[in-house]
Amino acid sequence: MVEHVEEIVVALSSIPNTGKTTLFNRLTGSSQTTGNWPGVSVKKKVGHFPLGEYKISLVDLPGAYALSPVTEEEKVVRAYFLKTPPAIVLNIIDARNIYRCLGQTLQMSMSGLPMVVAVNMMDENSQLDIPCLSTHLGVPVVPISARSGRGIPELKQTLYRVIEDPERTHIPHISCPPILEAVSRALSEKIIPGGPLAKMNANFLAMRLLEEKTLPQSIRNTGMENCIKKWRSQVEKSTGEAIAITCAKCRFNAARGLVLEATHQKPPPPDENSQRIDHILLHRWVGLPLFLLIMLLLFQVIYGLGAPLQNFVGQGFDAAEAWLRVQPLVSRQSDLLQSFLFDGFWQGLGVVTAFFPIIALFFICMSLVEASGYMARAAFLMDNLMHRLGLDGKAFINLLLGFGCNVPAIMGTRILSSHHHRVITMLLVPFSLCTARLQVFVFLTTILFSAAVAPWILFAFYLGSFIAIIVIGLFLKIIRMAGKSEPFIMEIPPYRMPTFNNVWLRTWRQLKDFLCQAAPLIVAGVIVVWFLTYFPADVPAAGAESWAGQLGQFFSPLFHPLGIHWQEIVALLFGFIAKEIVVGALAVIYGGGDLSNQIIQHISPLQGLSFMVFTLFYTPCVATIAAIRIESGSWTVTLYSFFLGLAVAWVASLLLYQSGLILGFS
Amino acid sequence: MKKTDCKFSRQPGVECIIHSLGSDEMIAQRLAQMGILPGARLHIVRLAPLGTTIEVSVDGGQSFAMRNSELVALECEIVAIPLTAVDGPPHTTYRIHRLAGGRTFRHRMEARGIEPGCFIKILDQTGSPIRVQRLDQEEIVKLGRGEANKIIVKVTGG
Ligand SMILES: Nc1nc2c(ncn2[C@@H]2O[C@H](COP(=O)(O)OP(=O)(O)OP(=O)(O)O)[C@@H](O)[C@H]2O)c(=O)[nH]1
Ligand SMILES: [Mg+2]
Repeated sequence: MVEHVEEIVVALSSIPNTGKTTLFNRLTGSSQTTGNWPGVSVKKKVGHFPLGEYKISLVDLPGAYALSPVTEEEKVVRAYFLKTPPAIVLNIIDARNIYRCLGQTLQMSMSGLPMVVAVNMMDENSQLDIPCLSTHLGVPVVPISARSGRGIPELKQTLYRVIEDPERTHIPHISCPPILEAVSRALSEKIIPGGPLAKMNANFLAMRLLEEKTLPQSIRNTGMENCIKKWRSQVEKSTGEAIAITCAKCRFNAARGLVLEATHQKPPPPDENSQRIDHILLHRWVGLPLFLLIMLLLFQVIYGLGAPLQNFVGQGFDAAEAWLRVQPLVSRQSDLLQSFLFDGFWQGLGVVTAFFPIIALFFICMSLVEASGYMARAAFLMDNLMHRLGLDGKAFINLLLGFGCNVPAIMGTRILSSHHHRVITMLLVPFSLCTARLQVFVFLTTILFSAAVAPWILFAFYLGSFIAIIVIGLFLKIIRMAGKSEPFIMEIPPYRMPTFNNVWLRTWRQLKDFLCQAAPLIVAGVIVVWFLTYFPADVPAAGAESWAGQLGQFFSPLFHPLGIHWQEIVALLFGFIAKEIVVGALAVIYGGGDLSNQIIQHISPLQGLSFMVFTLFYTPCVATIAAIRIESGSWTVTLYSFFLGLAVAWVASLLLYQSGLILGFS
Repeated sequence: MKKTDCKFSRQPGVECIIHSLGSDEMIAQRLAQMGILPGARLHIVRLAPLGTTIEVSVDGGQSFAMRNSELVALECEIVAIPLTAVDGPPHTTYRIHRLAGGRTFRHRMEARGIEPGCFIKILDQTGSPIRVQRLDQEEIVKLGRGEANKIIVKVTGG
């Protein structure tokens, strides 16, 4: 007999950086699944843990300051609460600074949803009067330390009690200007909340309608629009400010009183250690060089350590392939099937696993940087530069690490603070010269140019890559690709020791996402390329008569002004699998023999340059495309990136080749 | 009410009190939701090396980074500035508000009689060292520019 277990949804909510994810990890371990919100690239994490006879499904939401959103993240949080209200809200307060958190807590508690408040980081400030907070908030309050695990059993017990008896939570009263109170009461009488909203307080819903000009249709009844508009302007005229601001003021006035009651001793002074460290790390002159040094170190750790690991995995794969090929079961199969298995499917798997070591290292390093608090400092240091591209300083780290490999850099855009920044960064990262492209350039430049010139050409490519990122960034800013940017007011948290648990769960989760979501796309992409080069079946693979060859010839008029022949177009097609394959593909296409000689015969130095410029900018490899697809959650952004790359590559190669011809090079 | 003067607002050590959140609705709403409301005290902690980004701390606690454009949108009254930024006539008296350095700096200053709450008269501000005198003491204290930068005095003189 299957036992009937009731699943209870509990949602974590608080302002940013209070320890939601730490608590989430502590309660659920590694048993979580991630889902995507439609349209937005914010991941909703859901994890499960048992509580008595119930099965709790815990939802980790991004931090939000209020339910009337300013940022994209907050829109997501608001939409979550209004569309699928959870059974219980688990609100978190940072014990070091309860005032800042209480504004959001008070707003959540007005919703009428059953709520439990956890005061986190009690290890840093243990002098709070918890019963007093509980009395005034009208909800159970539990002191915990998510990092050390103190208070977690009590928190679970409290949750259990609230599940059993949800009526015990009360809605606190917050005084606001009489006119606002009157209007919201009148409006609340008109609301007939249906469906999931039925359990919410009508007054709270009325406030949502008044505070916001754009609200999901769900609460709004038709015919109320005009009345809301009239009332809103009435209130705003009398207070002289937006209702959202008036409400925030009222909440924080209440919060201030509560802070005074709940703290009997002077609050702990701001962290002196952080100040001392910042004095050096954010120093006017020393700060930037230290930042670059740290970045260099990260780069070395990720790619210096990652590349040998990658090779190692690659060799393992090749060995396994060689072993598989001679197995009677396999070698008895038809040519077609064998080719499909090895040149298509197996190679796709190889591409996927090759990314594992660097993705793991990348996220270990990034979690360390983020959890220690240095990420916010890096953003502060680089903000001015990145602001010109319409980004904030954090994006700099992604762009920089993209020079190692685009894939983790794009997956790492998850740390950026807004949807806008994530999309722009995702579109810019593919223009950075990753190590795969570097391999192609090193190979071609040493063949086509003298030893004295080759390094300069490589250097010029790096420079070109930087310039492209800046120019395209400015272009995207001008056309406002990803909407308006948000006001920049970023918290600078104190420095903290990263916890092992957080770092490895984060890394594990990213690897799992990559495996579950990106891997199928990557394998499919590789199979498509295999398909094009293998068929029709009776011609040499990737030869002139194969579909790839025909495709190359079909497009060759378009590439003629760039000095690129159809053979190289086919190689570029292969480069879609992974850019370092371009060289090997050339060898296959030219039909064997000494590759260097073949290349010197077929490609002039100027044509080679043009080809390399095209390789640098054109559509990123299939893994990058897959990463963009998962992180942006949108095919539009993915296609945009695809075609943006092609367009930029075409224009850049054309400019280079034609101006080279005019200047008399060949 | 005095609007934030750009010259001052961009100097570390300056302290001001917010009078109004300004007319940019997005910024005002964001600040209000973060609990930064009229009456809050902002300290300019430091400028980013590349300028225009500023670290401020609110009510002596949480630090925020914001851009100059966000900061000038606020209407604030400056209440304290570093000793080097005062622009009164010579021999004006100021009250020391805060010592912005680390513990060693504070001890060193207190040993010389410079401590929060006391009144000092500036004898010579232009040169280096800067010479000041505590109102209730005879002795003249000489301060380097770096030291004077970390001595924050109230704006409304003695
Ligand atoms: N001292 C202390 N630090 C903690 C505790 N819980 C979490 N932290 C630290 O607080 C920081 C933020 O924790 P997160 O779990 O990432 O916070 P969050 O609320 O998920 O943050 P956002 O997702 O950005 O909103 C991390 O550096 C944690 O190590 C605690 O109980 N005590
Ligand atoms: Mg989190």
